[in-house]
Amino acid sequence: MTGSLEARGVSVRYPSGVALDGVSFRVEPGRVAMVAGENGSGKTTLLKAIARLVPAQGRVDLDGRDVSGMARRELARSMAYLPQSVDLVFPIRVFDLVAQGRAPWHAGGLWRSGGEGPAVETAMRAADVSHLASRDAATLSGGERRRVFLARLLAQEAPVWLLDEPTADLDPRHRKEFLSLLREVHAESRATVLWVTHDVDEALALADDVLFLRAGRAVASGPVSDCLRPEVLQATFGLPARIESDSLGRRRVLFL
Amino acid sequence: MLLLAAVVGALLIGSVRLSLSGLVRGDSAARALFALRGPRVAMAAAVGIALALAGAALQALLKNPLADPFLLGTSGGAAAGAAVAAWLGALPLEAPLASFAGGAIASAAVAALGRRGGRIDLQRLLLAGIAANAFFSAVILALFSFSSGATTRSMLFWMMGSLSDADPRRLLALLPYLAAGAAVLVSLAPVLNLFLVGEESAASLGVAVEKVKLVVFFAACLLTAAGTAFVGIIGFVGLVAPHLARLRWGNDQRGLLPAAGLLGGALLVVADAVSRTVFSPAELPVGATMALVGVPFFLVMLRRAG
Repeated sequence: MTGSLEARGVSVRYPSGVALDGVSFRVEPGRVAMVAGENGSGKTTLLKAIARLVPAQGRVDLDGRDVSGMARRELARSMAYLPQSVDLVFPIRVFDLVAQGRAPWHAGGLWRSGGEGPAVETAMRAADVSHLASRDAATLSGGERRRVFLARLLAQEAPVWLLDEPTADLDPRHRKEFLSLLREVHAESRATVLWVTHDVDEALALADDVLFLRAGRAVASGPVSDCLRPEVLQATFGLPARIESDSLGRRRVLFL
Repeated sequence: MLLLAAVVGALLIGSVRLSLSGLVRGDSAARALFALRGPRVAMAAAVGIALALAGAALQALLKNPLADPFLLGTSGGAAAGAAVAAWLGALPLEAPLASFAGGAIASAAVAALGRRGGRIDLQRLLLAGIAANAFFSAVILALFSFSSGATTRSMLFWMMGSLSDADPRRLLALLPYLAAGAAVLVSLAPVLNLFLVGEESAASLGVAVEKVKLVVFFAACLLTAAGTAFVGIIGFVGLVAPHLARLRWGNDQRGLLPAAGLLGGALLVVADAVSRTVFSPAELPVGATMALVGVPFFLVMLRRAG
């Protein structure tokens, strides 16, 4: 499996209205695609529709295969989903939480907990949470918790990652650390990444491709170099924008 | 171990005391008392296990530390179901299937009312449970006032739960339901672990969430209904036992469910022993004793969850 992802005419209707209206795009294997747009533009809904967490119309192909025909567990072996924020009510050990990522790989025998050790430990090392293994995940800080969920995603060993605003509630330092960690683990795995954010500068720093959404429709999609134009940004965010380079040579988007 | 100690202790105490040596020697007075108390203690253990398992599984499934078959209205619905069936004359009062139907309707209604915007809201769920309990109490009271032969005592039995009618026949009738429900829930323990992070998270890890929810609700309902059919409404076992078990054995459902079950059995055996000894020779309904323990516990949990 290589992880090429293609969506054609994906639509989602909630009781409150249309959340996603015929979105199509394609991501080549190993590329990082940023999904950007305003609040309520359908970014999270798009990820959930692709992971079949909400009922959707249209078609999503993974390596040319329609995902709606896959068994849930098979789908979970192909796509790993990093949720936006998780409210942990009950205590759960960090190791056990990361080991949940192995669940799709157990052939019905979830009772046997042997054999998952190496994959879990590798994932925990990569996400730098090994030292937290026996802590209760509910007591961790926001940044630590993000890394624990990243470890769970790595343990899932899926060729496609769906990341829903992974840095949203982090302060600048933890955000920077998390992003460089993510860049590291992605370089290792070469997964295809769909990354939801409303921070366009993040997109500029990390993404190969972008998909801009507004009110449930795709405004533009493709390589960053093609799509990052002031008129596209204005159509997406409803604000005039300028693209500048700072003294370190990084491009930044300035909304006016 | 705890269950065993509770069972032996409960066999020995009562309005007539029994010595351990007498029980082991098997003298005639001891045998007579064993025949009287044995089924009752065993029934308390069986019902306690059933309610605690149902509560533990619902807590994990709903990701809600306040879930309990009584607070969610399942017990009330089950008792009302049996009362309706008895009133219609179709079935004897101890009809696990009628209880099951009542309990299932109650759970479905409370779950539907407790939902807002596609997710279960803690406050709404508890309010729906309160409303369901008030409604079912009214149904039971009404039915008992219509039917002429009913005594205040048998009504109390339904409303507050009592083990005083336990006998071997009832115990045997309960066991298949207990075995089936327990087997289903314990075998789903590893899947329930995935629900601890949330339904969506479980789905993203390959769990057929809707199917599992239905099966767990069904099994929890079966356990609650079977228990209620034979001993009436007993609350809080399903709330208290899983939390105590969690403190000692952690929250891995593979260990927690069996531990909570056994602890629930021990808890109800002790509660019943207290019920029949404290005001001896008079008896307190065991549901009242459980409520006296459970309500303060519930308030502590509510403060923490708030």
